[in-house]
Amino acid sequence: MRLLRLLAVLPFLAACGSDDPSGPVAPVAPLGVQAAPTGTSTVRVTFPSTTGINTYNIERAEGAAGTFAQVGTAAAPATPGTVTYDDTGLKVQTLYRYRVLAVRGGVASAPSGETSATTLAFGTFSRSITGDITANTTLYADTAYTLAGFIHVVAPATLTIQPGTIIKGNEQSALFVLRGAKINAVGRADAPIVMTSSKAVGQRRAGDWGGLIIIGNATINKTGANPRLDGSGTDGTAVVSGRNYEILYGGGTNDADDSGELRYVRVEFAGFAPRANEELNSFTFAGVGSGTRLSYLQAVYGLDDAFEWFGGSVNATNLVSYETGDDHFDMSEGYRGKLQFLIGMQSGTVNINPLPGQNVATDPQGIENDGCDGAGCNNGFDSNPLTVPVVANFTLIGTGDINAGAGSAGGIGMLLRRGSGGYYVNGVVARWPRAAMSVRDQATYNRGGAVATPDLATADLALRNIAVLESANAFESGTGRFSFDVAGNALVATAGTTASLFTAYPSAITNTTPVASFDWTPAASAAIATGGLATFTGKLATAAGTVVSGTAYRGAAAPGGAKWWQGWTTYAQR
Amino acid sequence: MNRFPRRRTGVFVFVVAFLTFGSALGAQAKPGRIVGRILDANTGQGLPDVGVQVVGTTLGSMSGVDGRYALTNIPAGTVTIQVRRLGFQPKTVTGIMLEADKTLEQNITMESATITLAAQVVTANAERGSVNEALDAQRIATGVVNAITAEQISRSPDSDAAQAVQRVSGVTVQGGRYVFVRGLGERYTTAQLNGTRIPSPEPEKKVVPLDLFPSGLLQTITTQKTFTPDLQGDFSGGQVDIKTREFPARRSMTYSLTLGANSAAVGSDVRRAFSVGGEGLALVSGDRGIPTLLKAFSDQGFPTLNDGDKRLMVSSMRNAWSSQLAAGMPNGSASLSIGGNDPVFGRRIGYLVSGTYSATQDVRTDQVRALANRGSQPGETIEFNRFEGSTGNQGVLWGGIANFSTLIGGHTRLLVNNTFNRTSDNEARTERGNFESEGVDVTIDKNQYVERSVRSNQFGAEHQFGEKHRADWFVTSSAVTRDEPDRSEFISIIEPGTSGGESLRWLSTGNGGAVRTFGKLQESSTEARANYQYSFSAAGRQHSLKVGGLFRATDRDASTFSYSISAPRATQAERALTPEQIFDGRFANRPNFWEVVALSQGGNYDATDRLGAGFAMMELGLSDRIRFIGGARYETDEVTLNAQSTLGSPVRVNNIWTDLLPSAAFNVKLSEFQTLRLSLSKTLARPEYRELSPVASRDVLNADDVQGNPDLQRTQIVNADLRWEWYPSESEVFSIGVFGKTFDNPIERVYRATGSANRTIVYVNADEATNYGLEIEARKNLGAFASVLQPFVVFSNVTFMQSEIRLGTQQLAATNANRRMVGQAPYVVNAGLTYSSRSGNTSATLLYNRTGERIDAAGDQPLPDMVLLPRDMVDLSLRLPLIRSLSMRLDARNVLDAPYEISQGTVTRDYYRQGRIFQMGLQWRP
Repeated sequence: MRLLRLLAVLPFLAACGSDDPSGPVAPVAPLGVQAAPTGTSTVRVTFPSTTGINTYNIERAEGAAGTFAQVGTAAAPATPGTVTYDDTGLKVQTLYRYRVLAVRGGVASAPSGETSATTLAFGTFSRSITGDITANTTLYADTAYTLAGFIHVVAPATLTIQPGTIIKGNEQSALFVLRGAKINAVGRADAPIVMTSSKAVGQRRAGDWGGLIIIGNATINKTGANPRLDGSGTDGTAVVSGRNYEILYGGGTNDADDSGELRYVRVEFAGFAPRANEELNSFTFAGVGSGTRLSYLQAVYGLDDAFEWFGGSVNATNLVSYETGDDHFDMSEGYRGKLQFLIGMQSGTVNINPLPGQNVATDPQGIENDGCDGAGCNNGFDSNPLTVPVVANFTLIGTGDINAGAGSAGGIGMLLRRGSGGYYVNGVVARWPRAAMSVRDQATYNRGGAVATPDLATADLALRNIAVLESANAFESGTGRFSFDVAGNALVATAGTTASLFTAYPSAITNTTPVASFDWTPAASAAIATGGLATFTGKLATAAGTVVSGTAYRGAAAPGGAKWWQGWTTYAQR
Repeated sequence: MNRFPRRRTGVFVFVVAFLTFGSALGAQAKPGRIVGRILDANTGQGLPDVGVQVVGTTLGSMSGVDGRYALTNIPAGTVTIQVRRLGFQPKTVTGIMLEADKTLEQNITMESATITLAAQVVTANAERGSVNEALDAQRIATGVVNAITAEQISRSPDSDAAQAVQRVSGVTVQGGRYVFVRGLGERYTTAQLNGTRIPSPEPEKKVVPLDLFPSGLLQTITTQKTFTPDLQGDFSGGQVDIKTREFPARRSMTYSLTLGANSAAVGSDVRRAFSVGGEGLALVSGDRGIPTLLKAFSDQGFPTLNDGDKRLMVSSMRNAWSSQLAAGMPNGSASLSIGGNDPVFGRRIGYLVSGTYSATQDVRTDQVRALANRGSQPGETIEFNRFEGSTGNQGVLWGGIANFSTLIGGHTRLLVNNTFNRTSDNEARTERGNFESEGVDVTIDKNQYVERSVRSNQFGAEHQFGEKHRADWFVTSSAVTRDEPDRSEFISIIEPGTSGGESLRWLSTGNGGAVRTFGKLQESSTEARANYQYSFSAAGRQHSLKVGGLFRATDRDASTFSYSISAPRATQAERALTPEQIFDGRFANRPNFWEVVALSQGGNYDATDRLGAGFAMMELGLSDRIRFIGGARYETDEVTLNAQSTLGSPVRVNNIWTDLLPSAAFNVKLSEFQTLRLSLSKTLARPEYRELSPVASRDVLNADDVQGNPDLQRTQIVNADLRWEWYPSESEVFSIGVFGKTFDNPIERVYRATGSANRTIVYVNADEATNYGLEIEARKNLGAFASVLQPFVVFSNVTFMQSEIRLGTQQLAATNANRRMVGQAPYVVNAGLTYSSRSGNTSATLLYNRTGERIDAAGDQPLPDMVLLPRDMVDLSLRLPLIRSLSMRLDARNVLDAPYEISQGTVTRDYYRQGRIFQMGLQWRP
């Protein structure tokens, strides 16, 4: 106790020392300092200035017990008035204490009295977005936005979304970023941007709202007729702000086109079908070019595909899909991007939005890739450019039960058809009830050179170094189906259970399963910790370029590596 | 509102009426009667105020309205009559053989006096002889007209109007029911019954399926190919006017009975849909109606269902999904009609009451359907989603007419025409094939039941005031219904069986594995029209002026709702049960088993249409040989449509279209037997109600969706026709004509550009289209070559045509921008050979029909168009007397069993055979 008293006296002594009349006199500490939150990461500090003060030092401490440190200075105005200081980069919904020191002639005053402010929670305020976005616009994290209709970001506008921003939609809504417009949605692992159902937690279902759609200016292989985006156009062809007018996405010319950036973005409970059998996807990328940056994206409980690419050449990394009504990853119409670190996990059939026409697909799969199909394919399944994506380090987990949500015609881990090519390496394909892989038709088999072991030097299609387990068949069999040589392509049937491969994988997945119960890091000594294709060669190396590189392991996570899905992903069924 | 009991009453009235008239048979005077019409040989119109006298007696009469006359109490024997009228050349008809107690019909034509001055004397045989009413109608008509008459119909094996009308030059019939004139789509063909538009019982179309009308009830079917202002303005390809039979001159009754067989049905097992009883009378739709829970679900705007709701809904559906194989049934029909001209309360009433019933077994065998994809080589098409199967259909058609007319004074003729028809089709289709997208082989069971009815009640009068004034007016009320209660589809995946073979497992996820659809359409229409004609002579020639007006109000109400039943959590073992096991209630208490989803293809719409029109036209004799017919019609039409798709916001369409439609025609009489016709006109085509409604519909999983377009505009058409006709003798004709049309904003059925595998057909206004062609018609009596060939007549009509459509910048369309118009055939050939014995009692007819390849639907790029391939149709008919008033007929239809085929590139999109039909009939006219 004695020691404490002594310490308490010490500053006093120092202050007496500086009262030395030979030196400048310390100014009086400011009075009336106020602090108020202005957002989820900003606080505004205000106080009146007094004559003769040069600058003010603003100090901040986090929480009730944190220590003060100077965070900035504010110049005193020429004539006394209110000084304003905006503190930024703060944590969401956190208490901060502030005090201010006045400085005159290099001598600082004693600190002012303390004041405190708590930054706003995400979505503290609410606002509706009622019309198309035609000028540069920012969405702020302190506001929960509701999409009142089919909202289009129209060229040349850029939509900027702050980390942590929440956007909600109902059945007749979706967010479109049209050709020439940009979206700049860069969240953080601790503050992902969330686009979700407007319904209350517990009432949410797959198909509650449309989804996020980006239309770029990259090429697609449908050139015969300009295709209309599925689900668009229920309000006709005339462009009317906020209505579901028709979107055509063909005719793009710039494969390096830039539609902006998505980072740490979740899309939940999307996939509504505005028109019969034309569901929107959680994430739709139609003709999106490689100038666009996509990383750390999660689709949760959508009604149609989690991620779908219609042509284009955009790359993406770190994609997660937990539960969806159709396919987890769907690429077609000449998609040529490079994807690395993908997780797709399905445990059963999603609960559907009860509005007319909504239903799960008859054929949900893990990956479903098409070359070209239907109208506009000038060369049928061989239309150019071919669908040749690079898909590396993927983990695709199915329901494991033909009776549970396989769809009566689905349940295949990787379905490649209608002339689709692509390089699929270092994957884990587990628990697919009908087959782990399917080479559905001759045109697709031809992509690999129509041989059981495609030559990486020449083939447009190759499946290499994939761990296959708990699936009924490695390849779908039947008339007209093809398969690759299992050993020659290192498509290794792995013993053991799916649960044994990973650090954590729940034995039963329910509505209340916490997201933390998924840890995709290979379990100690799991087979997938090794066995990867570490060095790419031939056309695979050319296609992968510097964007995707080989790994010694298989699956979406490195042994002992960063758990990149943690913190920003979620698991929810309602 | 239940309208059916009232219809039953209607039938009852027919029967009572029939019995009443039947029992009135008996009292007849000794002398005979002569009745008929006096016609202007130039214009074909009835001539009133003509003095008709029996030469050598004081017996005489004046012709009345429409040129009708009757001479009563004429002593039997050989009679000569003379007709006289101012401005016309008198004519004497000799050698009329009148039997005691009989009525004889004698029509007489009169020439304008300026042509020749000498009186004409002709024999009754020459005057009547084989006067072919159809040719006559054609010869004297103002415009380009083709007609077939009851006589021709009875010589053909045709059993309904749709079959009969395809004997007409330039006419094609699609699907056995829809008529195309000059190979233009049914959109450009309108149908009328006794001069009044018939509302359509088809939800997608405006045209009436002509197979609703049994041929026994038909007097003539006229196709009018050029427009005159007194016709309705939505006319472009042609107008088909069905006239129900007029009353015979003397009382007659006809009973007929036919029995037949389809070679593909009788002796084989065919698909038979389930029955709830009563399908045989086409009166069961109430028993197959939508379950109340499903209806409430739609009516209440699709509230969120709880699990119990879904279970109750599934339990409330009739458990009928599959069809059975059963022995094919024979075809049969019976009809009776009575007609005459008898006094009732001292007034002569002409009447015809007739009823008919037929039951048919139709089959489609070797049925194939598939979709086409573009191959990797230019022009290559690749087949996918191929299905093979068969269809069995049991059709019922019954109906009747009751027409009455009477003369009031000499100047007014009152008419009442009533028609009612009802049909049902109970169809079962089963097929096996592959879903390329899902990568599975499947079976599809589809059952469909459709009931249609058409009712028309017309009341009107024709007035003749002196020689110059003529007026007529008609009020018509009509209604159609189309009920499609409880269509079902059930899809099973074919999987390898556990012990070899295969097993069927229900496609229990998604929106197509089990679907029930309920459709209903009601339309009613009231039309009032009146015309006035003033005839006058000037410069020694006949002229006329005609004005008239029309008002029509049409109201339609249509709805279709589809429900998908799925069980996404059904196990493999449960999915392997038969459909009737799955739905037998065993899962009625299983929580979270059923999903009931209203399909978004569906919804309802109502339409009101108010049309007002007026016209003025004149017919001028420019010279003795040249007549000008011209004028204009003004039409204003307001169409209001409210549509509500199952999913989506309500849409309201309100269009007011006002048009002035001028026309001009010249008829040049090159000689007594040669006519040259030139005509120019402007007409229009309005979108069908369904085409304006954005409600989507779909047939079966993976089939095309069809959706309307509320932005559609009407089509404006300019028509030009030139035709030369030569009538070498009364039963012979040779004509050659050319025609051309330009269409502004024609409506086309096209595939919508889409990114999905899901294809949608939409309607768009193309920029413009042109259509031009050549028509040749010939009918020749072979007696000219050898006298033994006198009873033989060969005839043929051939139409060649070309069209080009320019879609323009249609964002919606994914089809070739420049091509032929949909539905337009490059040629239509009809040919035939008939034999008639001198008495006319025995006759035989051989008919051939072929229609050139036509676009059924424009292909979505880069696929080629879907084309309906030509089909060689050969029909044979033989009619011969047995004893006394009993005659027999033997018919063979579709003798070559020509397949129906639609192809797209190398892919067969649709293919089936319908079998040969042989039938035998007896007809008794006591």
